[in-house]
Amino acid sequence: MGLKKTSDNVGLRKIAARDYGRDGHGLLEQLQDPDVSTRRWAARDLVQHPNLMRELCERLPQEPELSVREVMFTTLSQVGGAAVVSGLLPLLRSEDANLRNGAIETLSGLPDEVAGSIDGLLKDSDVDVRIFTLNLLGDLRHPRVVEWLGQALRLDAHVNVVAAALEVAAEVGSDALLPAVKSARARFASDPFIGFAADLAEQRIQGS
Amino acid sequence: MSRILVVDDAATVRMYHRKILGDAGWHIEEAINGLEALEKVHALSADQPFDLFVVDINMPKMDGYSFVRELRKLQDVPQAPVMMVSTEAQVQDATAAQDAGANCYLIKPAKPQELVLTAALLLGDGDAALKAAEGVSA
Amino acid sequence: MKTAALDTPVITDADFQKFREFFYRKTGIQFDDGKRYFVDKRLIERIEATGSDNFRQYFVGLRFETKGEELQALVNAMTVNETYFFREQYQFECLVNSMMDEVASRRKAGQRIRIWSIPSSTGEEPYSIAIYLLERWPRINDYDVEILSSDIDTQVLQSAQRGLYTPRSIANLPKPYLNKYFKEQKDGQWLISRDLVDAVEFSRVNLSDVNDTRKFRDIDVIFCRNLLIYFDDLSRRMAAEAMFDALRPGGFVCLGHSESMSRISSLFTVRRFPDAMVYQKPLEGGA
Repeated sequence: MGLKKTSDNVGLRKIAARDYGRDGHGLLEQLQDPDVSTRRWAARDLVQHPNLMRELCERLPQEPELSVREVMFTTLSQVGGAAVVSGLLPLLRSEDANLRNGAIETLSGLPDEVAGSIDGLLKDSDVDVRIFTLNLLGDLRHPRVVEWLGQALRLDAHVNVVAAALEVAAEVGSDALLPAVKSARARFASDPFIGFAADLAEQRIQGS
Repeated sequence: MSRILVVDDAATVRMYHRKILGDAGWHIEEAINGLEALEKVHALSADQPFDLFVVDINMPKMDGYSFVRELRKLQDVPQAPVMMVSTEAQVQDATAAQDAGANCYLIKPAKPQELVLTAALLLGDGDAALKAAEGVSA
Repeated sequence: MKTAALDTPVITDADFQKFREFFYRKTGIQFDDGKRYFVDKRLIERIEATGSDNFRQYFVGLRFETKGEELQALVNAMTVNETYFFREQYQFECLVNSMMDEVASRRKAGQRIRIWSIPSSTGEEPYSIAIYLLERWPRINDYDVEILSSDIDTQVLQSAQRGLYTPRSIANLPKPYLNKYFKEQKDGQWLISRDLVDAVEFSRVNLSDVNDTRKFRDIDVIFCRNLLIYFDDLSRRMAAEAMFDALRPGGFVCLGHSESMSRISSLFTVRRFPDAMVYQKPLEGGA
């Protein structure tokens, strides 16, 4: 008893041949295996099959185990690309908070790839989609970021979307946004939170 | 002095709630999502438990409902009222909040007076409730 | 021509607030106003090191870098990185006062208890674990316990296996343990007992590489302290997932005292023990 060395690598699992180069479609099938660990490993190994991201996205709503979903999202994050973005955008509208948040987090890690969809997303009828899009702008290096923020500040009808735009404006901090911030404040003159957020944005923009 | 945990992923919202509730005389702590909130509950429950939770719904990693459900399951920490504050205004969300174990539900952005009055009532803080009824500004 | 004094960047209040929120969001580390001097000094160092003109330029660069190298350098600057024996000792207390007993209670006959320390760095952590188990866990003689320790850096692994330590590194050790497990060398360094070196299984592992980590299974306790804080968001998630898979159901993870899973992964449950707060892989469901 006591401290023992791992002789002969007894405790270290032998790497089975099946771990490597598994066929992509085989992996997709394994995503339906009753064993949670098998599904998790299949989700992880799909990172080697970037051509199957659309299928992986489609499996997300069907997967009940959060630990498997998490790995699926990680694989999608690692692979990135247009198929991942188009596969995840619909999930922004999901009733399932876990799916929605997973999609938001993954897409937030792919700002450049989402950039092409921003015009459309900012006009989406779903408030949460517009809020997500504005939050994304904070991580996006793109010549139109200030324009998009300004647009939301000046035109969006929903107070919480404007709030999100003010929050990002405070971090992005471009002087060019000051008139748009003023406009937001004026449009929601009776809302103390917008007043607060606009004050903050102005302080941060001017104070730097 | 009552201790309030404000849970929201948006820094501006946390600052706003901190300002309003702090001005009302309460001690404020913050967390950016349900997971961090649970950790703070665990870390502080022994000598500095929270008296009220002000919780957003949409947050990454662990949303507001999940946080409240997990909080209510904890045996070894003192329970406290939960005020959920969220953008969603549908009726089903008020029910969902109640089902998860929250005490009430405010719609964002909450008016300062509403925030303070509701907090004061949940905390059983009569003085603060009276002051709030007289008028509060952000 | 600018003079040196005019070149020094200034951190305004607004800059400090912006930085503070960003840093808290990314790392969970909070700086209150009292830390202003500490933060400003290091921010200025990083601004100058990156050749930025001012805070604003530096901050833009920081927010948009793809791989997170500057954030890592920044975290490095803002945190204290020393390794020494019995560092963050309360977690070793938790190991022998709480975690080991719970793990042992689930042990089937013949099953070993396995502890994984990563990064091993120069060995202070795995050897601290070994000493704690031998000296402070009453049931060490009733169970077989394996200590595995890994690092990405082979030089550091070699150093760990050499087992030579400076007076600074052993300063936190109670004298009886020092005398029992170390021998003072002529040059003032301390050589750890060969028995302890032999008790630890060292390996080179990149925690971000699934091919390295998939070999680790049936681990009961993982110590992963002050490593993830230097990873970018995606690598941190992958590391957390690797640790999840390496653990037996019910297994524990200890992160550094200023680290948290809250920004990394929701896979683990928080467990509050008298000595420490740790993370646990759920018992049911996940294999």
